[in-house]
Amino acid sequence: MGGLVQQQDFDAQAPWLSALRNAGLQAFEKQGFPTARTEAWKYTKPRALNVDDYVLSVAGGKTEKEEIPFDCYSFYFNNGVFDGNVPELPDGVEVMSLAQAAQTDFAQDYLGQAADVADKPFAALNQYYLSSGVCVHILPFVQLDKPLLFINHTLAGETNLLMNLRNLIVVENGAQAELVEYFHYTGTVKSRYLTNIVNEVFLAPDSVLKHYKVQAEAFKAGHIALTAVNAEKNAFYKSLTLQTGADIARNETHVKLLSEQAGAEVDAAYQMNGWATIDTTTDIEHLAPCTHSEQLVKGVVGGEAKGVFQGKIHIAPHAVKTEGRQLHKALLLSDKAEVDAKPELEIFADDVKCSHGAASGELDEEQLFYMQSRGIGRETAKQILIDAYLEELIAKVEDENIRKWIKLKIKTDNL
Amino acid sequence: MATPLLEIENLHAGVCDKEIIKGFNLTINEGEVHAIMGPNGAGKSTLSNVLCGKAGYEVTAGSVRFKGKDLLRMSPEERAREGVFLCMQYPVEIPGVPTTAFLKHSVNAVRKHHNLLELDTMEFIKMVREEGKKLGIDGEMIKRPLNVGFSGGEKKRLETLQMSILKPALSILDEADSGLDIDALKVVAEGVNGLRDGQRSMLVITHYQRLLNYVVPDFVHVYADGRIVKSGTKELALELEEKGYAEFVREK
Amino acid sequence: MQKNKPEIADESGDKYKYGFVTDIDADTVPKGLNEDIIRLISAKKGEPDWLLEFRLKAFEHWQTMEEPTWAKLAYDKIGYQDLCYYSAPKQKVAPTSLEEVDKELLDTYEKLGIPLKEQEVLAGVVAVDAVFDSVSVATTYRAKLAEKGVIFCSISEAVKEYPDLVKKYLGSVVPYTDNFFACLNSAVFTDGSFVYIPQGVKCPMELSTYFRINAKNTGQFERTLIVADDESYVSYLEGCTAPQRDENQLHAAIVEIVVMKDAEVKYSTVQNWYPGDKDGKGGVYNFVTKRAACRGANSKISWTQVETGSAVTWKYPSCILQGDNSVGEFYSVAITNNHQQADTGTKMIHIGRNTTSKIISKGISAGFSNQTYRGLVKVSPSAVGVRNYSQCDSLLIGSNCGSHTVPYIENRNKTAVIEHEATTSKISDEQLFYCQQRGIGEEEAVSLIVNGFCKEVMQHLPMEFAIEAAKLINISLEGSVG
Repeated sequence: MGGLVQQQDFDAQAPWLSALRNAGLQAFEKQGFPTARTEAWKYTKPRALNVDDYVLSVAGGKTEKEEIPFDCYSFYFNNGVFDGNVPELPDGVEVMSLAQAAQTDFAQDYLGQAADVADKPFAALNQYYLSSGVCVHILPFVQLDKPLLFINHTLAGETNLLMNLRNLIVVENGAQAELVEYFHYTGTVKSRYLTNIVNEVFLAPDSVLKHYKVQAEAFKAGHIALTAVNAEKNAFYKSLTLQTGADIARNETHVKLLSEQAGAEVDAAYQMNGWATIDTTTDIEHLAPCTHSEQLVKGVVGGEAKGVFQGKIHIAPHAVKTEGRQLHKALLLSDKAEVDAKPELEIFADDVKCSHGAASGELDEEQLFYMQSRGIGRETAKQILIDAYLEELIAKVEDENIRKWIKLKIKTDNL
Repeated sequence: MATPLLEIENLHAGVCDKEIIKGFNLTINEGEVHAIMGPNGAGKSTLSNVLCGKAGYEVTAGSVRFKGKDLLRMSPEERAREGVFLCMQYPVEIPGVPTTAFLKHSVNAVRKHHNLLELDTMEFIKMVREEGKKLGIDGEMIKRPLNVGFSGGEKKRLETLQMSILKPALSILDEADSGLDIDALKVVAEGVNGLRDGQRSMLVITHYQRLLNYVVPDFVHVYADGRIVKSGTKELALELEEKGYAEFVREK
Repeated sequence: MQKNKPEIADESGDKYKYGFVTDIDADTVPKGLNEDIIRLISAKKGEPDWLLEFRLKAFEHWQTMEEPTWAKLAYDKIGYQDLCYYSAPKQKVAPTSLEEVDKELLDTYEKLGIPLKEQEVLAGVVAVDAVFDSVSVATTYRAKLAEKGVIFCSISEAVKEYPDLVKKYLGSVVPYTDNFFACLNSAVFTDGSFVYIPQGVKCPMELSTYFRINAKNTGQFERTLIVADDESYVSYLEGCTAPQRDENQLHAAIVEIVVMKDAEVKYSTVQNWYPGDKDGKGGVYNFVTKRAACRGANSKISWTQVETGSAVTWKYPSCILQGDNSVGEFYSVAITNNHQQADTGTKMIHIGRNTTSKIISKGISAGFSNQTYRGLVKVSPSAVGVRNYSQCDSLLIGSNCGSHTVPYIENRNKTAVIEHEATTSKISDEQLFYCQQRGIGEEEAVSLIVNGFCKEVMQHLPMEFAIEAAKLINISLEGSVG
């Protein structure tokens, strides 16, 4: 048992890898654990994650197959450890475990190149461990026929597992793929495990990645995720994240639009109650002319929960003809719910079109009354309105089966 | 012989590397009304924008002389002050700028150029009221911010009002009838006709013949693929209305 | 502690006796800040003990504070011990005739149509009194105001004549612990204005610290306190539309406003301190804390600001909406050009029920300048029925400037309806072409469009102020086009 930093022995690894891991540790130590004064953690207080009874998860346990209602290539991660089983894949798609990949030049070229750790303490920690995960390599012009599905299952027990996962997704020129991530648990609801995951995504020119994620961790758990994307010319990254679980959760997306015509659509929904804090943080960097981004984030907050949105659109000097749009909306369902938003524009080029909006409010009494007057029970009416509220987002998922599946993961029963 | 008002010779122009106007020739004398008709995508708007000096267009060859002066070397505002007026298809909205304030800036900039005394507010208001009345523009409309929330008809009437108070030597009407119902069209046409005094010239650019029923041209040119492919009198317009542009588009 | 106090007082008395204070009269205050300097300021002004104590406590606290670094501002470190905290070192460097004054500054006066005599005052060539009989101006006003029971005087006078009022409200909205610059001001403030509007009185005229030009040299650490009692109304103007030559690098002012039941205060500012030259040399650091507390039900505070001056601006006029149904408004135009930097915005703190707030911010960045809108809308759990609307628009002119928008929205009440919108763009080519097509030159077209962009804010300024502010906008943007 120990704290977030536990002794690691990686001297025997390739020099570049041990150097990278050391750098991760140093970056973490330099920043320290976020305090009340850390601007990036102004609204989400991760203090509860800084405990000293973590058990580093090293063995995954037995894989239990999940019923998934859409066709996909499934990969299982048990307690944060990839089980090593790679399903049969079509030509042009290569997947291996992080440990295997670490032996290759390929991993050396990409690992740690997208995820900045200087101002991200958890990503720095993650880089220190680099213990588990997969590397996905989609070769040029391959159009993957089915989505890749990463099922992260935690068997939550009495001990508090510390899980560090690092995935590398490289989509080559003109290739297209879909990735679905699913985080769920079985076992002790009150387990205070921590999932600390970093995905690094590299999109070569003209490539596309559609990335869906459902986060339904245990109610006392921590979930800190960073997806760092480097998008080259005319590449497109589209994501939709639904968060419904964990006590403290942050889903952070950092996209660098590196070259002309690169684009991103980063959407998110969050829905929770109890005492949870669910955080959606985005940072879209427009680093080249004619890049575009769009974000829609919607939240439904009940109980004594807190929804947090921090979104930044950065436009570098000379990144002209850029368009960036962002909208955050939240519904508060209870007297003690809270929503904090910090949408941010940071613009250093003149010929741009940028906007952001934020709104928060409660369910419309008129609408509720209207439905009640037509004989619909108040609770049902609320659910209908909440469903409708999130529908705008869910509708953005193109694949019908994935869309239906994500919809099922919205829990409105206990609001 | 008097110098023609406008002489366009072998004009080549385009956007980025794409040539849109490909050897265009046209001469307009004082008092003449010319209509240019052409199918969608023929480059009609490019022509009016190039003549008025809008940024983003590149002239690669040819010349345009206005009252004998090199028009292409002038800034957009100099062309306007010299007397080239573009009645725009989609006049832009400028929030917060009252229409009257804008008109006054415009009128006085043009007057100053011609060494005329600038109008004071009273004189200016009086003139705008008189001219406005003819076009059915009330005082309320011109107090609103420039074009903001104006209907299509209101925007076109305001364009016509500006044309009548700026008294340009050459008015270019770019699809002046688009988005207008028949009543609004008549009002605008009357306004335009009121400006025909045998001295002022007009270039009416249009896709449909409809407008030409009201603003009857002296000459009609068919414009396709960046140049004039046929010229004639007003009868040509009727012919086009009947047969369409297919024949000319095929010709290329 | 108790025991020490008389000793300290004696000590300062001693110093006075031995002519240390007389030295100050001769403008030879040593640089730097320490307890002695604060005692001297206080003694010089003949202040009561409680105020000296207030200053000393502030100073003690200030020493434990760090200068804030969260704003998007980059400036050289300020040597607080190199500054002179009392009297005016500027007199030493003041020009003796208009010939010695910056030509550009004079050009600006010319454009604003400011009479020569006033130019001399603005440029610091002569004192205000040389132009106006400031005493008589003040007296005329005062007589008229006194009829209504309105108090309008310098804060130093108020300390002497209305000590109870000042003691009750000073620091009640901006406590000395509030922030680094407010704390410094609390320790060393030199002068400023005091306004009290009694119950039921609508102040018969707009109050202004400047009757176009600054009536009093209030110095670097200005302090303003406005109290509007139940059902009263006042409109207060601060500022000067002409740029003021000022050698003081640092300005750290405080404005505190207390608004009681059914009362309304309108506070308008035009800030045009010296922005530095084209290369970003010189210019004022303007670090101001402005805050109004709407204490009573149905009270209202409205801030309107036009910020075109200063090299560095750090300013967030705020509204604490305590009273039920109270209203806070913030209308702002900020223009930065050349190497100016501004980090400005507002805070709307909703505490009372059915409180509403509105934020309209228009930022224009040109040249090499950087500008940030930073705002907070906070709804506490008790605040039922809150409404907030914020609109922040930014315009960029040229490709070397920056424009940033950082709103913080914290909602802890489900019944609150909060809307925030922000846009950033440049002046559209279409708009520019349209104006040019009608014969209007590019520079004039830009100023037309920019004035239109600011209209929503400008219309909240009193008439004469608005006209001059519009001129000022044009002057501020000169040279930014083309």
